[in-house]
Amino acid sequence: MADEGGYDHRLMSGEPLSTTEAVTSPSLPSPAPVAGEGGDGGVAGPAPAGGSPGAARARRANERLGRRLVLPGQVMLIGLVTFPALVALYISFTRWSPSTGYDWYEAFRVWSWLSNYDGVFGASFLSAFIRTVLMTGVAVGLEFALGLGIALLFMSRFPMHRVGSVLMLIPMMITPAVAGFIFFLLLQSNGPVNGILSAVVPGNVELRWLSDPTLAPIAVVLADVWQWTPFMFLILLAGLLAVPDDQVKAAQILGASWAQIFRRIVLPIIKPIILIALILRAMEAFKLFDSAWLMTKGGPGEASSTISVKLYRDAFLSDQWSYVAALAIVVMIVVSLAAARAVRSLERVQEAQT
Amino acid sequence: MSALAKRRAGVILRLGAVAATLVVFLFPVYWLVTMAFKPQQEWAPTEGQIFWLPHDWTFGNFRRIFGGSATGDSGLSFLISTPIDALTPILNSLVASVGGTALALVIGTSTAYGISRFGAGGKVLPFQILQLRMFPPIAIIIPVLFLWTYLKLFDTLPGLVIIYAAITFPFVVWLMRSFFDEVPREIREAAIVDGCSELGAFRKAVLPLVRGGLATTALFVFILNWSDFLIALVLTSQRVHTAPVFLSQIQSAATGQEYGSQAALGLILIIPPVLLSILIQRHLVRGLTFGAVKR
Repeated sequence: MADEGGYDHRLMSGEPLSTTEAVTSPSLPSPAPVAGEGGDGGVAGPAPAGGSPGAARARRANERLGRRLVLPGQVMLIGLVTFPALVALYISFTRWSPSTGYDWYEAFRVWSWLSNYDGVFGASFLSAFIRTVLMTGVAVGLEFALGLGIALLFMSRFPMHRVGSVLMLIPMMITPAVAGFIFFLLLQSNGPVNGILSAVVPGNVELRWLSDPTLAPIAVVLADVWQWTPFMFLILLAGLLAVPDDQVKAAQILGASWAQIFRRIVLPIIKPIILIALILRAMEAFKLFDSAWLMTKGGPGEASSTISVKLYRDAFLSDQWSYVAALAIVVMIVVSLAAARAVRSLERVQEAQT
Repeated sequence: MSALAKRRAGVILRLGAVAATLVVFLFPVYWLVTMAFKPQQEWAPTEGQIFWLPHDWTFGNFRRIFGGSATGDSGLSFLISTPIDALTPILNSLVASVGGTALALVIGTSTAYGISRFGAGGKVLPFQILQLRMFPPIAIIIPVLFLWTYLKLFDTLPGLVIIYAAITFPFVVWLMRSFFDEVPREIREAAIVDGCSELGAFRKAVLPLVRGGLATTALFVFILNWSDFLIALVLTSQRVHTAPVFLSQIQSAATGQEYGSQAALGLILIIPPVLLSILIQRHLVRGLTFGAVKR
């Protein structure tokens, strides 16, 4: 599973992501001599490929050392990703669950070919998938808009600027499970959020945030937006501060409006940072579990079940282990494909700039 | 209006917007903190009256989660419920997070150095490592659960330490690699020319230059491990439950609402990451973006 699946590795090694100094590509360090491409043979010796036998020996020694240094990491990857993924693949072809009384490696006794995969593409998984994508999209979109707005607010100096930006980061630092618990408290039907709404809107607001099928996913999104808008704020602010002052000043002198400056000068420069922030956030939001579990446990029914919540519930509450294994395999494949796409679009931006 | 007055109005408007934003974003934290100090009768509104401020501040919730009784200042209502011991879960969290961080640092730093300095693993390995971060943990954790049950690592601290190390090790690799990349290659080569062994060159020449980065990475990974909920939920049972899992279980206890006790534990839980993040503020952006964005 951990073997590369059609990824484009050039992103990870190409030119800097942008013209800003704030962004440097997460690149392989050796722009100099790269001996080969990919795989175990692709080891770049730091010494130039000299003709003398001594230099060649030194290079081989370095390659050996490099391989040894990364060995523990590779063992960890194989032991805790590749192997479990293979186990999941194996289980997914059976009807195994702990209640069958067999150990997992004996699962072949209840072999069932692809029957689990029939269910995977059924309505329940599809709706959980669409729900997760929707919740991710809305949450990340809101986080981006709010984060950008707040970052623009923090662009110029004002008294207590440093204290303000530190305070702004606190939500992001809160353990997600605790964040879920906080919103569980806030969104009680007689809780403070409804209390504030009652004060603003006429009448007594008693929205059942956590038990209404329409409101529950919104509540989960709300908690996510609260917690991760600071993430967008922080990263976008870093990008905005890296925009060269002289360009902005020159445009101002030439009479450009604020909107023009933003669209023509600032946006192209911070675009790579925006993409990085969006992709990282979307990846994390897609995995959402902790706060959702603390707030609604995926309920009512499956109304706020993200993929992760659904997998957990099916495994531990419904005892459908083999089905969950099949789901996990499908999710891994889908996520890999989505990640490859994201990486490629990131690269396109990069190419457009150079 | 003069230009100066206009500018002053702008500043005031901006300050107002900043203040409003902060109020909105800090209100949930305020609610947690005050809830931790509220006696039971103020946890939920009585007769529609929400307690925006605690009327009778109390440490009863803290006494209660450490096995004590909250009575003495807030009535006898706790006498019927079973005692709560949050100390063991907090210690479990601490040991598992520190252990997982240490293991991830050793393996991750070695891998990062191999990749950064020797180009080991080519272009594929760094990407495989990043890929680990993209999967929903639940997809990985369920197969790991089979393995852990089989290896008798289920519900043990070593089991938790290993999986924490595995989950956070991509962070270490990507972060440390970005720090190693900033060290000029000549430094290591010069040390070797001066007669240092490879290990000596690493220890005496390279390591001192990335010490700050290493500390940042360690704190970052500690925060990640400390914040985990799902992994501990799946891979532990009563014995080594971590604090976040314990917090969620108080909620489902049959004794009814335990909002104040949960809030007290929640407050204890968020203090370390909030304080540590202020320490690593300078490198926060880099950490959050896997070293892609440096500031």
